[in-house]
Amino acid sequence: MNDRIAQAQVEGDATRIAPAGRLDTFSVPAFEAALNENLDAGRSRLIVDLADVTYVSSSGLRALLSARRRARAAGGDVVLCGMAPRVREIFEMVGFVSLFSIVPSVQDGVNLLRADAPTRT
Amino acid sequence: MATERTLIVPGRFESLAAISDFITQAARDAGFGDDDVFHIQMAVDEACSNVVEHAYGSDRRGDINLRCRIDNGGDLQVEIRDRGRPFDPDQVPLPLIEPDSADLDAMRVGGLGLFFMRKLMDEVTFEFDAESGNCLIMVKRRPK
Repeated sequence: MNDRIAQAQVEGDATRIAPAGRLDTFSVPAFEAALNENLDAGRSRLIVDLADVTYVSSSGLRALLSARRRARAAGGDVVLCGMAPRVREIFEMVGFVSLFSIVPSVQDGVNLLRADAPTRT
Repeated sequence: MATERTLIVPGRFESLAAISDFITQAARDAGFGDDDVFHIQMAVDEACSNVVEHAYGSDRRGDINLRCRIDNGGDLQVEIRDRGRPFDPDQVPLPLIEPDSADLDAMRVGGLGLFFMRKLMDEVTFEFDAESGNCLIMVKRRPK
């Protein structure tokens, strides 16, 4: 059950989205809505903090994949952090570990997105 | 002696958490280790999600009947029944997964649920009967 989805602007134009509990087919629509809300508003540098997530179903994987496609098309990215070993195993089973940038902490995500950002004048 | 337990819940996504608790407890009580318990839970979650999404869909209502049976050898058999539309696994596209690919566009993720079920369980069998509806049986063997 997804009790809450914390969201906050972290640094620069990166946004942290932190779902909690189980990302199953029941809770994924709210998570997907949070992702899309940010993407619709032009915020395409997203850090999905999975530290409080205990399970991700195939519907959660699909939501992340589709958000990442949208983010990349808009010049941003979706970076994942805080993944517990159990959750990482799910990503490994379907090869998502080589598809997504996965970093230990939110700060690592910020740094990665900053490094990828186009130089501004 | 073989043991058995059952759970009947409405075929809705809201039921998934209760299903997860039920199957986790059953697998744990059967003596499976943490990894297997998690895998069994995941396979059952994907199976029941499919029932709600595809067998019942937006226009049908019905229950999901789960029956867990531990046989004398310690193997766990999970039977999942519904009265929704017939499910034919052959109609589900295989996901295109390339573990080493970093190509976002090359990934096709339809059928991921079925992929997980087959990967995580030792046996996955689907049957449909006009009288009794869909019946999915999944078996997890006790590691020898």
